[in-house]
Amino acid sequence: MQSVNGTIPLDPLPNDGALSGARENNTKFSRLVEEAWSRFSSTRYTGFFLVLPALLFLGVWFIWPVVSMIASSLSAHVVDGVTVEGFTLENYTRLFSSDLYFRILARTVRVALLTSICAAVFAYPLAIAISRGGPSLARLVTITILAPLLVNVVVRSYGWQTILNKTGALAWALKQVGIPHPPALLYTEWAVLIACVHVYLPFMVMPLASAIARIDRSVEEAARVAGATRLRVFLKVILPLSLPGLAVGASLVFSLSSAAYVTPQVLGGNFSPLLGTLIEQQILTLNDWPFGAAISTLLIVMVLAVNLVFLKIVNRRFARWTEAAR
Amino acid sequence: MTETVSPLLKIVVAIVLVIVVAPLVVPLLMSISDTAYIVFPPQGFTLKWYAAVLTNPEAQGSFLFSLELASIVTIMSLILGIPCAIGLTRFKVPGQDAVLGIILSPLIVPLIVTGVALLQLFSIMGSRATLLQLVIGHTVICLPYVIRSVSGSFVLTNRNLEDAASVLGAAPHVVATKIIWPQVRPGILAGGIFCFIVSFDDYPISMWLADGNHFPIPLYLYTVIERSFDPSIAAIASLMIFFALLLVLVIEKVFGISLARLAS
Repeated sequence: MQSVNGTIPLDPLPNDGALSGARENNTKFSRLVEEAWSRFSSTRYTGFFLVLPALLFLGVWFIWPVVSMIASSLSAHVVDGVTVEGFTLENYTRLFSSDLYFRILARTVRVALLTSICAAVFAYPLAIAISRGGPSLARLVTITILAPLLVNVVVRSYGWQTILNKTGALAWALKQVGIPHPPALLYTEWAVLIACVHVYLPFMVMPLASAIARIDRSVEEAARVAGATRLRVFLKVILPLSLPGLAVGASLVFSLSSAAYVTPQVLGGNFSPLLGTLIEQQILTLNDWPFGAAISTLLIVMVLAVNLVFLKIVNRRFARWTEAAR
Repeated sequence: MTETVSPLLKIVVAIVLVIVVAPLVVPLLMSISDTAYIVFPPQGFTLKWYAAVLTNPEAQGSFLFSLELASIVTIMSLILGIPCAIGLTRFKVPGQDAVLGIILSPLIVPLIVTGVALLQLFSIMGSRATLLQLVIGHTVICLPYVIRSVSGSFVLTNRNLEDAASVLGAAPHVVATKIIWPQVRPGILAGGIFCFIVSFDDYPISMWLADGNHFPIPLYLYTVIERSFDPSIAAIASLMIFFALLLVLVIEKVFGISLARLAS
């Protein structure tokens, strides 16, 4: 670390008899530690050795299992309960050719896309309040948005069940305003969408708020002085300049909601399963490991693709825009 | 400066915040209902559902198991994560970008997929050590957060203070405890707390690796929601919400870390 070997430790306290023995031992021990540390920290491989345990841990318990799972989706398939070994694309063609599985895949993409869009719509007012409102408003909104993250996702999903239930809060509220028989929402795709937006909203609000906070206020003020309405300022200044934050938020929300399991199960029941539920059924109920592995691989590919599209392309565009503006 | 947030925006924000809080408040109301099923508005007043939950040995067992699991995972993640963060920020690591890519990759792969992959590996290995499997699974998903948080605090340390201390004759261990530690402590604390919460609340890893004797509280909650319909579920949900509020208070007041920092 620092080149401190050879400096003489100063003694800031006067030596008194009772303490000196302990102090001497202490210095002897610390000398040893110092020497060991300086020997350790001066090699070229120190950084490598420090990183190694975590790297090995993740290599053995994350990279290896994921890679071997992807491999297993290509090296076997199950026909009538019998596993057939050998390279195959059967698991993937099955996913796209079967009507049932394709519907689940389409629903997953639809729910994840709609969740991202709805979350963005709800998040913008909140993000503007956090980054442009007074300190007390910003704090109130931040706490109210982040505190639910500490509540278990099972509980948050269940909360929506108590609202969307036939005897729940929403039905009661609708009755009060004169709609006695509202259409059932619970166990539909709508219920899944509503709860997903709620659960993943914080992941949209926070990146948006920090992106908006980075926008120079004088740009907005200039637009206002030039006579732009608040809506125009939003559309022409805040929205385009906060796109990097929107890209981060959208890719987070899409990734999380496309792989959601608990929320679709609690609110969609068996009527609108997503890919997560399909993986669970194939592996735990039907014991079809290769097919489960193929769906899992597809989820990884989807998430990687979305991250790549949103983060790389949007950011490059954005850099080009801002460059041109200068 | 003039008012930068319009009143209309404030109204919209208020409505959205009410919607955000609603699914956490409605279970609280329903948990005191003196009916055999969930109904809104609640009818009568009773605390019997809370009594039923608090004296339920299964609920107690799951809660305590989750606390134990999250504690072990937090310690494991800190032991692996702190040296790694020091290595990444203070030393040259060969192939730094590749190392960083591997370390952060569990944040990209969906949790449910990480869980399946681990279950496949464990079943090929013929492993029966459920607790160990859960600890490994949770540490995989917690470690990146710890490393990110701790690295962040090491990057922000002021090297000039260390140089000044060394020049004035402070031994390395004094520099470490008196100069570096106070600067990185919030980052380590935030990483540890976040790790604890991620493990305590995890569902998509535990759903693959847990068994009947090692049953974390999120799995228990889920099975209760699936199989029963009386307000005792609302009571458990309310207790979990109170627990989360307690956590917010402890994090903000005792540790002095703002929620915003924890989430960043």
